[in-house]
Amino acid sequence: MRWVTLLGRIGTVILAIGLALLVAWLIPSGSSSWSGVSQPVEPEQYMISELGVYSPQTAFRISVEASDNVRVYLLGLSLVEFDNWRTQVVEAYPDSATIFHPYTVPLLFFHEAYPEQPFPDLFGPQTQNMVWNVTVLDKGLETHPEIILWDPPPSSSFSHELFPADVLHIWVIVANPSDGTVAVDTKVWDLTTLAPKERVIRPAILFISIGIALAIPWLILRKVKKSTF
Amino acid sequence: MGKGRPFLEIFTYALDEDYRFPILEIFAFFFALGTFVFVDLGAYSGQTGEALAYNLVSTLCGFPLLFIFVVLILKNVAYGLGGDLEKGVMQTLFSYPLKRRYILTAKLLSGLGIALLLLLGIQIFGLFLLAPDVILTYPSTVFLTYAAQLCSPALLLAGLVLLLTLRLKRAGLALVIGVVLLFAGLVVSGLVYSIAYGTGSDVALKIWAVINPNLALQTYYYPMGAVGFASETWVPSFSEVLLYLGAGYLIVAAIFVVGYVYFERRLEI
Repeated sequence: MRWVTLLGRIGTVILAIGLALLVAWLIPSGSSSWSGVSQPVEPEQYMISELGVYSPQTAFRISVEASDNVRVYLLGLSLVEFDNWRTQVVEAYPDSATIFHPYTVPLLFFHEAYPEQPFPDLFGPQTQNMVWNVTVLDKGLETHPEIILWDPPPSSSFSHELFPADVLHIWVIVANPSDGTVAVDTKVWDLTTLAPKERVIRPAILFISIGIALAIPWLILRKVKKSTF
Repeated sequence: MGKGRPFLEIFTYALDEDYRFPILEIFAFFFALGTFVFVDLGAYSGQTGEALAYNLVSTLCGFPLLFIFVVLILKNVAYGLGGDLEKGVMQTLFSYPLKRRYILTAKLLSGLGIALLLLLGIQIFGLFLLAPDVILTYPSTVFLTYAAQLCSPALLLAGLVLLLTLRLKRAGLALVIGVVLLFAGLVVSGLVYSIAYGTGSDVALKIWAVINPNLALQTYYYPMGAVGFASETWVPSFSEVLLYLGAGYLIVAAIFVVGYVYFERRLEI
């Protein structure tokens, strides 16, 4: 009898926690702001934009529209990894310490592809073709596949919603493998949510099921008791 | 009949009294939902490592979640014991074939232990869902932060309210004094910072850190220089933080021991 009460109350508590997780899952994610960039991408080159720091509670939806087929990647680095990458870049190019924070990823890719090259002028006519070349990008991604969060097949229209698993620095890369210049229009909407939906729903279902299973005998007993007295 | 059965009887009785259905369930629901509402992972994007783990736990141990928790346990301790003393139920409980200290343990396990288990279980699970890396990489920081945050005011006040309830035998008055002490603690915290800032001396901070070890832990992760104090004001080492935490728990343990001794030997009903 006492055990039924004890287990019943444990069940109702677990059920309550499950319901709270369900509520967190049901609350829709809100879109707070959006930003857009329109930029041409030269033949066999790529462009990169730092989207910022996102977490399982602050995510984003991205849409990329291009005048021809392009490749799009979403890259993510944890804050610790990002610091490591920054350190590597600053060690390789001391001049980049204060100015090129958003270009940490392309600078590291460039350094890995051309370790002997000095600090490049990112947008200068002499080095631009080397730094932003698709082969440099491919080599970089091949070396660091763990940072790729999204890698859809080539297309001219993309849309994706991403809730990172952890707090991550996020970049979007648009690569143009074709022979002609491609006009690219990127739009990003910031999203906020209480909890990462895919992580919350399973425990919610599990807790609700266990909670109901444990609570039913106690609730029946309670009802029988009430009707008896 | 062994000790287990009467202990369980008193424990379930205390559970029913402390958390009439569905009070416990409502608290569980709001603790769980509150964990997601009050944690803002994006707010600490500039921080990494142990400081991030400390901040995430501290956010959950601030207003209103910890405040609600403290009021809940103070209510449980005051009314769980005081109510029984006032209504004469304690006499019935003393007739059980169980030593007095086990009766008090059963009552505290229900009033304090269950609430603590609920808070910690839900919050750590919630943090695990939100930031698994932080929880798995820095479990000792998470544990230490909870230990420091709960020592004072939660456990310290629970011990004081226990003593007051046993001495006064009046639940309402003990609870009111407990809540007043809770607010007094908040005021003193502010004053201690003002005194330290005004005098440039860290003596007040160190004295308060014995009662409230979270101050030492907070200062360890965020040296006073970061919040406008002279940078040399007070930067405790990690072993000093552990020392303050140990001292804080010694005080809490001493108060509970006095409560147990009083309940076992001096309490007359």
